[in-house]
Order: sequence, then C-alpha cells, then structure tokens
Amino acid sequence: MNLIREIWQSIVRRDSLSTDKGKSELVFLNVWLHIHPAKVKKENMKFRHSFYLGFITFFLFLILITTGIALMCYYRPYPPQAYQDMKDLQFVVFMGPFLRNMHRWAAHGMVVCVFLHMCRVFYTGSYKKPRQFNWVIGVFLLLLTLGLSFTGYLLPWDQLAYWAITVGTNIGSYAPLIGGQLRELLLGGHSVGEGALIRFYVLHVAVLPAALILFTIVHFWRVRKDGGLSRPVWKLKQKTEDLVTIGAPAQLAPLTVPGSSTKTYGLMEVVTGKPIFETVTPEEEDDTVFSYPYAFVREAVTLMATVTTVMVMSLFLNAPLEELANPAKTPNPAKAPWYFLGLQELVSHSALLGGVVAPALMVLALIAIPYIDRNPSRRPQDRRWILWLFTFFVVANLVLIVIGTFFRGPGWALVPPWVHVVGGAE
Amino acid sequence: MNRRAFFKLSWGTVGVGALISAMGVSFAAVLRYLMPNVFYEPPQSFKIGTPGDFAFGAPTFLVEEKIFVFRDRDKGFSVASAVCTHLGCTVAHFQSDQKFHCPCHGSVFLPDGSVQHGPAPRALDWFEVTLARDGQLRVDKDKVVPPTYRLMV
Repeated sequence: MNLIREIWQSIVRRDSLSTDKGKSELVFLNVWLHIHPAKVKKENMKFRHSFYLGFITFFLFLILITTGIALMCYYRPYPPQAYQDMKDLQFVVFMGPFLRNMHRWAAHGMVVCVFLHMCRVFYTGSYKKPRQFNWVIGVFLLLLTLGLSFTGYLLPWDQLAYWAITVGTNIGSYAPLIGGQLRELLLGGHSVGEGALIRFYVLHVAVLPAALILFTIVHFWRVRKDGGLSRPVWKLKQKTEDLVTIGAPAQLAPLTVPGSSTKTYGLMEVVTGKPIFETVTPEEEDDTVFSYPYAFVREAVTLMATVTTVMVMSLFLNAPLEELANPAKTPNPAKAPWYFLGLQELVSHSALLGGVVAPALMVLALIAIPYIDRNPSRRPQDRRWILWLFTFFVVANLVLIVIGTFFRGPGWALVPPWVHVVGGAE
Repeated sequence: MNRRAFFKLSWGTVGVGALISAMGVSFAAVLRYLMPNVFYEPPQSFKIGTPGDFAFGAPTFLVEEKIFVFRDRDKGFSVASAVCTHLGCTVAHFQSDQKFHCPCHGSVFLPDGSVQHGPAPRALDWFEVTLARDGQLRVDKDKVVPPTYRLMV
C-alpha cells in the first residue's frame, strides 16, 4: 500500500484536496489546469453571465478533433474513392454514421456557438480595454472556424460538396487583382478536381486546425492574464476606472500586502504602477472560491452536456450525403453551406459587392470594433447606439441566411417554404 | 557618428536586409511551389466527333466538355460554353424559350449568349469550332469567338 501511495504521490505531487493548499496546488502544479486561477470570482461563474459559450465552443472543437481523427482512418482524399469511402462510412464501417453525424453536428454547433459567444462578449462590453486585442483574436478564430467548415464541406465529394465549393471558390475569384490566382492556388488547378480535394484535405486536417489551436492558446492565455472572465455587467460599479495599485508609487510608502489567514504569499517582485488587468481587491476576496471544485465541476458538467447533446442529435439526425459529384449537372438550386447562404444571397445580387466587398468590410468592421468604440463604460445604458448597430448587423445576417435557406427555390427564385415546387426547372 | 556606431548601423542594416529578403524569397518560393507546373486536367482543345453526329435544331450538350453544340441547317455549327460567367455553375438550355438558364443564382442568357437578367457579369463564351483533317469537329476553348461565328460544313 505504501508503494501505491508513493507512486500516486510521485504523479500528483500535491497536498490532500481537503486542504486549501492542496486545492491551490492541484491548479498550479498541473500544466493542463494551471490556465485556471487557483481561485475564481463567484459572480463570474454565473451561467446567466456567459452561458458558458466559450467552453461549449472549445468542447465542440475537442469532439471535432477526436471524431475527425477517427474518420481519417477510413478516408482517402482522392476522387472518386473519397465518395466511396463516405458510402463505406455510411453503410459498412462500425459506428461510421454515428461518428460522421457527430463530426457534422459538432461542426455546425461550433459555428453557432462561436457566433453566439461573439454576441455575448459584445453585449457585455467585454472587448473593452484591456481586452481589445483578444477580441481581434476572437474574430480570427471565427474566420478559422468558418474556413474549417468550408474545407470540410468538400471532402465527401458529393453533389452538395462539389457545387458548394465551385460557387464558393468562384466568389473568391472576384477579388480584384489577385482573385484568379488565389482561386488557382486554393484549387491547385482551374476547376474543382482532384488537386482541389487534396488541398482542401490538407487545409482541413493540418493547416487550419493547427492555426486554430495556436490562436486558441493565445485567446485563453489572455483571458487568464486579464483576470479571467469579465465581471458581469450587474456587478459593475458606477465608476469604471477602479483598477487597484499593487505596487507603491515610487518614493512613497513601501508596499503593504493585506493580511489574510487563508492565503500565503510568494512575493517575487515589487513593481510600481497600475496593472492593466482587473485585480481582486481585498474586499472582493470574500467573493472568490477555489477553482477546485466549483469551477471544475461546472466545466465538467458543461463538457458532459455538450457531448451528450451532440451524441443524441447524432443518433436521430443523419448527415446528408447526395449522389457522387457530377461536374456536368448543377443541382437546382445549388446552395452553399447554411452559414454562407447570407453571403450567397448577397452574391446573387452582385458577385463583387456581395461576395468580396461586403464580407471584407464586415470582417474589418468586426476587427475595428474595440478600437472605434473607445467609450470605457460597459453598462448598456452608456452604449446605446453601438448596441443597436451591432443588433442590426446580427439581425441582417440572420435575415439573409433565412432568406437564402428557406426562401430560395429553383433558379434562385423567391419561393416561400410553404410552396412545394415539383421538380426543378430543367 | 563614431566608428563603432557606424559599423553597428551598417552591419545591422545589412543583416536585417538579408534576413528580410531571405524570408521574402522563401515565401515567394513557397507560393510558387503551390502553383502546379503540370495540370492533369482535360485539354482545352479536343475533337467532338463528325458533323453527322449532331442533329439539327436543339443543341447537343456535351457533359465532360461542358459545351452546347448548335447545328443550324442554313448557318452551320457553333459552340457555346455551358459555364455560367457568374460563379461557374452549369447552365441549362431551354427549348421552350431558346434561352440559357443558370440554376445557382437565376441568371438568364439570350440565345446569342448575352445576359438578359440576373447577376452574371458578362455573356456566355462562344468557342472556335473547326474541321480537323480526319473529318472530325475540333473545339478550342482557348479561342473565344463572337457569337456570330459559324462553321459551314
């Protein structure tokens, strides 16, 4: 028994979790857990503050990595084998449809949750100083998520995939000066073919996930360095400039650290000036609890709820697979993935304006938000016009997506969803 | 400026300049690497069969080549592209109105290929069609001709 205890001790190397020291050591002696602080603010853990959307997005990404690696074992990125492999996954491979469904629904869920997370961060004003640049990284993460979805869309090599990518890459070719070459670079040829499939595969399984992971690490790190989640708006004080000074101003009284019976300090360096991040003032100390178990339990429950939801969806809803890609026959109507249907709706009016100019401006505007909106207040009553502006942006996008998804029939004609069109125009 | 500062600046400039140009050249080389030297794609110029293979009236749609072959009793052969100029979907030719209809974004092209309405930015291409020495029709997709072009056989 002593040997077992010794082995266990050599692994965890911390005190018992019944002590506060053990609870802290669990966090900061563990490379995976130390992205958490040892103690978190109670208010920040409230579900109604963040809806845990960032966590859900991250957990969906974990599902995507694991199911994606499993799917790779049966997939050859070469036409027409790629399509045969999809059929195999559908009908021959043990649990193949379930894994493919999980990958599909987690991917759609990730697009939704990234977007909702962005809305939450916007409406709570959490992109404001000092978090401006983390918002920009978030915009990159949104674009990477869309890029992963788009590249994954081609891999089944069915009609849906083929035509969505044909339309999607042709939109890119309208970009001035470099458009045509950009498309050739992406496709490795002049049309969507075997060259395009292998390139999309490489982007989908190696380049984009690596980029997403790197950006995610920076994203999390900065959240942590900025004092964890932003404070809930309802906890904000009247004054916004309430950062505390941890160092004593130069040539003044030496630093005094507030005493506490529960906290032992390891003081490494005394510096002067204000920290850029929110800190816990001594009065707020009472509002904090140890990450273990309070934060970890919430995260574990969120993870389980996310996985369960995706699994249940995957049991009942099947990922679509149409017939083999046929370059000669365009399905009518040919639609891009739903999250790009707003874009396609714009493109149906003008390819250059709708497909290149409008999305480029949208992305630039998103990136610029924290640098344009320099009003330091996070309270809704102080930031009315920008809330309206952002709401307009969200609603416009949703309306365009709904029109593209439900109101467009053969020949991209306006057809309400309750009208049934027999056959297409052919 | 003393000797030391001068060397610091000059060697520093040379060093940073060399680093930036090396990175630029490497980046350009990577981009060039990604542009294939050989495309294993169907040739742009190909034979489509003898004139007798094609009927008068309704155009013949060639699936692989994505072209419509028109044969008119009085005017002869002409070949139109079936690739929509908007986003590359394959257009359909309707016998009912003699127009080309794109399924993706609803562009409609008149019988001569010009845009009637929809988002298409320009008319459908017409390709040169010639008679090869073995009596077959040859289409060259690299040679775009006016819609009035005809081959009389």
